[in-house]
Amino acid sequence: MAYSDKVLDHYNNPRNVGALDKSSSKVGTGIVGAPECGDVMKLQIEVEGDRIVDAKFKTFGCGSAIASSSLATEWIKGKTVDEALEIKNTAIVEELSLPPVKIHCSVLAEDAIKSAVRDYKEKQQESQS
Amino acid sequence: MDPCPQCGAAPTSPLACSACGALLDPPADTDPWALFGLEPGPSVDGERLRKELRRVSRLVHPDFHGSDAANRDLAERNSARLNEAYEVLRDDYARADRLVRLLGGPDEQAERQMPQAFLMEVLEWNEAVEEARDAAPGSPPRAALDALSDDLQARREASLAELVVGLEGLPPADNPGLPERLTEARKLLNALRYLDRTLADIRELRLEQAAR
Repeated sequence: MAYSDKVLDHYNNPRNVGALDKSSSKVGTGIVGAPECGDVMKLQIEVEGDRIVDAKFKTFGCGSAIASSSLATEWIKGKTVDEALEIKNTAIVEELSLPPVKIHCSVLAEDAIKSAVRDYKEKQQESQS
Repeated sequence: MDPCPQCGAAPTSPLACSACGALLDPPADTDPWALFGLEPGPSVDGERLRKELRRVSRLVHPDFHGSDAANRDLAERNSARLNEAYEVLRDDYARADRLVRLLGGPDEQAERQMPQAFLMEVLEWNEAVEEARDAAPGSPPRAALDALSDDLQARREASLAELVVGLEGLPPADNPGLPERLTEARKLLNALRYLDRTLADIRELRLEQAAR
């Protein structure tokens, strides 16, 4: 099975690899995994107001998992947290031309966004109460 | 087991009649325990398993069923089924995985959530592998990787033992608390997948480093 050009591009030049300060109240961290293959993905967002101003990821997994998370960070930057939640894995599948056996990689990326936003929102609630 | 359709004797394997040597064709969904004449369960007697493999292998061996093509095909199929069942039953992980499925427990699609703290650990294991990748022999990252490898191996053994305890006495399928026990078993199996993935990565890295 060959990877699409877009997958190879993200795999060879992943965008936004790295880490944000996990302890900051402006940063939400999501970690998700795929037990089928043992892939693990960390995605972090930094939020100003309600807008995502920065996003970083670290993924240990196959090319499709790396490309899915790289693309996800590109897409959520500049969006509000609620807009980011609307990103569906199917859009990632379409953009990267992922084959059926790699769809779970896109699900992982969607879950990672949701998990990072949830962590951010929980932090905000804690700081308000 | 039904009597052998060829000679009427009671077969001692669902794959072949030991009395007359006729090949049998059990239903495709016959579980691996049944193919070995065993009751499903989390533990298995390895010695008994190997003996049964040797005995039935001979009964279904294609060399003894070569006279006509259909018979030889069935012999090949039965040999493959026997070997596949053996691979499942001899492996602690595969056996527990199959038992959970056989009893209607969740697969890794249905029960996939792992605690954040655990996934954070998995991330750290992966980072340790990455840091050791280009590190010199004897350097701290390499030593850390050796320690991690030992730790993961020990956790693997402990998890497999815990898995057997958690599934002990199953079936019967009407066991009280069965769904919860099967869910717990699936979570352990999931954790083992992550462990095994990292252990495989470490083995691969060591081979790479040895080849340099």
